[in-house]
Amino acid sequence: MDNAHLLLAVSGTLFTLGLVGVIVRRNLLVMLMFLELMLNGVLLSLAVFTQLLGVEAGAVLMLLVFTVAAAEIAIAVPILLLLVRAGHTLDPGAYGGLKG
Amino acid sequence: MNGMLTLLVLLPLAGFFLNGLLGRRFGPVFVNGVGVGLPLLAFLTALWAWRTLETGGGVPIIETVFTWAVVGEHVFEVSFYLDRLSAVMALIVTGVGALIHIYSIGYMKGDEGYARYFAYLNLFLFFMLLLVLGRSLLVLFVGWEGVGLASYLLIGFWFQDVTKARAGRKAFITNRVGDAGFLLGMFLIFTAVGTLEMDRINEAFATGLIPAGVATAAGILLFIGATGKSAQIPLHVWLPDAMAGPTPVSALIHAATMVTAGVYLVARMSGVYLEAPAASTLIAAIGVLTAFLAATIALVQTDIKKVLAYSTISQLGFMFLALGVGAYGVAVFHLFTHAFFKAALFLGAGSVIHALNGEQDIRRMGGLARRIPWTFGTFAVATAAIAGLPPLAGFFSKDAILWFALASGEGGAIWLWVLGSLTALMTAVYMFRLLWLVFLGRSRMQPETERHVHESPVTMTAVLVVLAFFSMIAGGFALPQYLEPLLALPEVRFHSALVHWAQIGFAVLLAVLGLVGAGWLYRDGGKPADQLWLRFRSLYRLLDGKYFVDELYERLLQRPWRWFSDRVFLRLGDRMLLDGSLHGLAALARLSAAAFARVQSGSLHWYAWMTLFGLVAVLIWVWRYV
Amino acid sequence: MIETVFLMIFSFGALIGAVAMFFLRHPMRVALALIGTMLSLAAIYAELGLHVIAVFQVLIYVGAVMVFMIYAIMLLDVRDRSFTERFSSLLVAGLAGLLLLLGVLVDGLLRAEPIAAAPVTEDVFRIGAFAIVFMDEFWVYFALAAVLLLVAEIAASAVIDVRRRGADAAASGKERGRG
Repeated sequence: MDNAHLLLAVSGTLFTLGLVGVIVRRNLLVMLMFLELMLNGVLLSLAVFTQLLGVEAGAVLMLLVFTVAAAEIAIAVPILLLLVRAGHTLDPGAYGGLKG
Repeated sequence: MNGMLTLLVLLPLAGFFLNGLLGRRFGPVFVNGVGVGLPLLAFLTALWAWRTLETGGGVPIIETVFTWAVVGEHVFEVSFYLDRLSAVMALIVTGVGALIHIYSIGYMKGDEGYARYFAYLNLFLFFMLLLVLGRSLLVLFVGWEGVGLASYLLIGFWFQDVTKARAGRKAFITNRVGDAGFLLGMFLIFTAVGTLEMDRINEAFATGLIPAGVATAAGILLFIGATGKSAQIPLHVWLPDAMAGPTPVSALIHAATMVTAGVYLVARMSGVYLEAPAASTLIAAIGVLTAFLAATIALVQTDIKKVLAYSTISQLGFMFLALGVGAYGVAVFHLFTHAFFKAALFLGAGSVIHALNGEQDIRRMGGLARRIPWTFGTFAVATAAIAGLPPLAGFFSKDAILWFALASGEGGAIWLWVLGSLTALMTAVYMFRLLWLVFLGRSRMQPETERHVHESPVTMTAVLVVLAFFSMIAGGFALPQYLEPLLALPEVRFHSALVHWAQIGFAVLLAVLGLVGAGWLYRDGGKPADQLWLRFRSLYRLLDGKYFVDELYERLLQRPWRWFSDRVFLRLGDRMLLDGSLHGLAALARLSAAAFARVQSGSLHWYAWMTLFGLVAVLIWVWRYV
Repeated sequence: MIETVFLMIFSFGALIGAVAMFFLRHPMRVALALIGTMLSLAAIYAELGLHVIAVFQVLIYVGAVMVFMIYAIMLLDVRDRSFTERFSSLLVAGLAGLLLLLGVLVDGLLRAEPIAAAPVTEDVFRIGAFAIVFMDEFWVYFALAAVLLLVAEIAASAVIDVRRRGADAAASGKERGRG
């Protein structure tokens, strides 16, 4: 298989590993990092297609996704800090108060 | 003038709205003005309409008000039809009605529901006029139901008393049973003829193209409706109970007008009954039986109004007897005379009750003749009229009925005549019994009541005088002949005048016998009669119990129906099925919500896993099955 | 040819980093593994010709996002159950899901038609040309991104304020309790 398929397979694998990591790990910070991994996986496939089709819009989109990821982290981490201040643990199991 | 009939019908309706909405605010003077003035205006309009009819040579006046519905190719219009028959009915309704409205001013004075009373009375007039002036059976039925409603409202007028309210309900429900028959008859006629307009129905049946079975069935079904409204056996049970209403109501609705609606219906649909001899025989048989049995009950009643109620049932039976032997015009004639003397009797009874401050038991009356002379005089005249003493009105109409019962070529029979004559004899007996026990002899009143006996105000006595006067002269109006172009008199079997005169003489003899007999039996406050009854105690108990018809209905109909309603409709249908299904749905929603809520377990890992699973599912679906 | 080798090496690097994230216990080490993955990805972008993007990947993602995460890790040095036990209760289900999703994605990839590459000039993604195109055609999105960042900044400030107020109240409460 050629380069494109290889990279796309890597992209899919990174995305899958990220999602499974969220399911499997028991630490909130680590789960956040796996979310970033997912995002990177998607960004890789975006890069592949941008290069293949030669459109600048793809590159622009990637830039904007960087921006969004930064903004997201900027808010998610403080929220996490507050949460841990209140709950005194990084175990997601302790934060099940909203269950139905 | 165009719109004359519509005006006639709408005048009482306006009275209903004005008195109903504004009567309480504006006081008795306003209520009197509207409540009595508008019916009087209606009477004048009716006179005018009649005059227009006569100058037109008796050609029916038809006024279409609006088109009610168009269903496919059938058009249902609301239109009014004035011919001689409806003119007579309209005049009776508005004339006697207006008089009773005037009487009510005195009788209902000071009552808390004064405005409501006149509103309901006007409403009744409106519906009754719809009934008699309607061209199609639909309009008649609207009026039919409407007078039933007005009757319910007025019988239960003092509704705070549960017994009175129940009497109103009984009247309405018994009527409804009859109405089922009426409706079925309407459906049958519509299927057979294609129209509900009564003049066209009569024409269609007269052509002879409609099968006799249809005519008989329709005739019987319509008659079932008539038995409900006109209190014939077996639906007569509501009328005695209806005496719970104010006495002018009993006079207007349950004597002069509403109960005669059944008679009007059969007379109006004479075209059907002429083609249905079986139905006519049934009508005659039920009519004469009702007349006979009601008269026997009236002999032993002790409430003044109940005597008159059974008397009304009996006289209505006479009218149906006449209808059953084909003498439609004669039945209407008796309706006409009956309106006057029965109204006079009821209003006179009202006057007595008013004088005695509410006493209605005739065992506690007596010797009133000198104390309330006007009431006595008019009551005596009306009694003589109903007993059939010549030359008062009742003689002419009742004699004609008995003659046709015997001699009519369309169903006259000896047994009809025999029963009819016996009934006439009993009528004389119980009416004179009433006269004697109430007005003559020594006083059997309570001392407290006796001290306050007073004659009624002039608004009441003047009406009594007018009605008594008409009871005297009404026989002079040759109604059967006047209506002959519409309602032909039947062929007579015996063409001998001798037989006719013999019958007349026999009838008069019976009336006189009744008078004398009653006088002798009830002269001493009823003691000779009481001694006579002691010898026939079981018969007395049977009559006093009104043949236990109410009890029979209770046992046969009401108890099983109540059981059925409770077990099937309430417990099974309402609670188990309806409530149960609703509760079941709610439980289902609750349980499924509980099941679905398990998904939201509070575990982030579980949510993420579900996201993955959903993603996989979507991808499979999109990539393989798109 | 050398391209493919290059790409394979750095793909391998990215995957190693991702898998390592699974098994490392300390969050700091997990973060370092993630940084490794990101750097490999930056190399891949550069190889694909997207030099601008590669630079920004390192600057923003590694330089800002991951540094911030490392700050957070250092602040929250919690040593409880979340530290001692790496895996949650859904480990088996998670692994099954892993195989499932991987299977579906690879299957989809294998079935897919080869992508037609458009003829591309080398210079399209050079920084000069790219910047011109970026500011020319896509300036609206640039502005919107700026707004987004502003909002995020405000939100972060708000969150921090709450934290400080909460901390003050807690502190005064403790003092009153003791005194």
